[in-house]
Amino acid sequence: MTQKILIIVICVAVGTTSGYMVMKTFKRNLGYLTDLCALLDELKRNISYRSDGAAEILGRFAANAGSVQLKKNIAEYVDYASSKSGTLSVSRGFLSKDVYTSVNEFFASLGEADRRGQLDALGAFSQAFEKYRERAAERSNKYGTLSVKLGFLFGLGAGVLFL
Amino acid sequence: MEELYKLISDDIATAISSRLSTEKLSEIRIRNRLPVRVCYDGAYYFLGAGGISKNSATAFIAGEREAESVVLRACERSLYTVSENIKSGYVSVRGGIRIGVCGSGVFDRDKLTAVKDFTAVNIRLPHEIKGCASGVLAKIEIGGRVENTLVISPPAAGKTTVIRDLTRLISDRGYNVLLCDERYEIASVRAGVPTLDVGACTDVISGQDKRYAFRAGIAYMRPDVIVTDELFDRDMESVDSAVHCGTAVISTVHAKNLVDFYEKPEYAALVGRKIFSRFVVLDGAPNWGVSVFDETARRIA
Repeated sequence: MTQKILIIVICVAVGTTSGYMVMKTFKRNLGYLTDLCALLDELKRNISYRSDGAAEILGRFAANAGSVQLKKNIAEYVDYASSKSGTLSVSRGFLSKDVYTSVNEFFASLGEADRRGQLDALGAFSQAFEKYRERAAERSNKYGTLSVKLGFLFGLGAGVLFL
Repeated sequence: MEELYKLISDDIATAISSRLSTEKLSEIRIRNRLPVRVCYDGAYYFLGAGGISKNSATAFIAGEREAESVVLRACERSLYTVSENIKSGYVSVRGGIRIGVCGSGVFDRDKLTAVKDFTAVNIRLPHEIKGCASGVLAKIEIGGRVENTLVISPPAAGKTTVIRDLTRLISDRGYNVLLCDERYEIASVRAGVPTLDVGACTDVISGQDKRYAFRAGIAYMRPDVIVTDELFDRDMESVDSAVHCGTAVISTVHAKNLVDFYEKPEYAALVGRKIFSRFVVLDGAPNWGVSVFDETARRIA
């Protein structure tokens, strides 16, 4: 009997953990996009008034950013900006293909235009990333807790079936 | 020199650091797909892995887009920080380095909107020679006040070096000095702090048009002396108003000598108004020298 209970507990734990991991992925994605939108706002604000270099603005922002992936992407950009080589390589991490393509374009476009052109480009990226963020928030709300519940139920079902 | 080495390719940086004395280096000229040249101890040479030479055969050949690379490094890949300066033909870098930039203009009707396809850059290195203007100071400070002084010299003869030291010396004598550093090359202010020594009593306005800097500076900073670089006729109104407020003005102009200055049509208004009572003439290489003249063009030093 004890053995059976143990099997069910293990199956439920595995299922719930899997669901939790799926929820974390949604949240991580949402966190990345939320931070990215905040970064774009900061860039627009700074370039409109102070006009600091992009690497400097990004470096300051990274110190307070929550998303580990965004911090990594910023570090990659800062390395590129201070290096003498001309290749920018931004890691994809957990980002979906379309978000990653836009992120790559965003980092590659930084500092490539005059002030007005840069602000226009940032405005366009801001709109695009805000849409991604809204979609990610919706998915996170809709499927985040649901995936934990489903994971729990799936684990329970699997345990019962196993017996 | 760290700032310089960040701008140029590693092979050029290695040749400079291992073969040349940076004290004697004043310019590095990089032209796309052409040999790299330097101005060293007042004369031009080609630069190669073995050092300087009059022969271009051993010189480094700049890459196809080397000039653009230098500009991008200078602005840390943030063109929007320098696009207005590039339209005026230069980029300022930390440490007082100034880069002259050549490229193709993009126009919207008659207005220059951008410069693209950079073809060549001239990296000009600042030199901080403390005490080089002490002889000049003795001739322009009379009876506890500083005379309106114009430093006249051809390009690359040391105008900025002299004016920077003059600023420091005057400032350290207790005068409130307002330095209008339009191109960031005299004080080279970064993050609100001058990176070159311009004295303990100097207020610095950087990157701003002289008209604005003079007006705001006189109104709110109450300077005894205003120092600024490269004066043109269009700046005369600002200079006039400063002088009429009892503020002494020290500035520079491009001319070979005093006669050349008097004859140049672009300085007619400067000459006509007789504002300046001291003229400091600098001779460039190979006959380096400093002469000081009074308002009657009589040599006094």
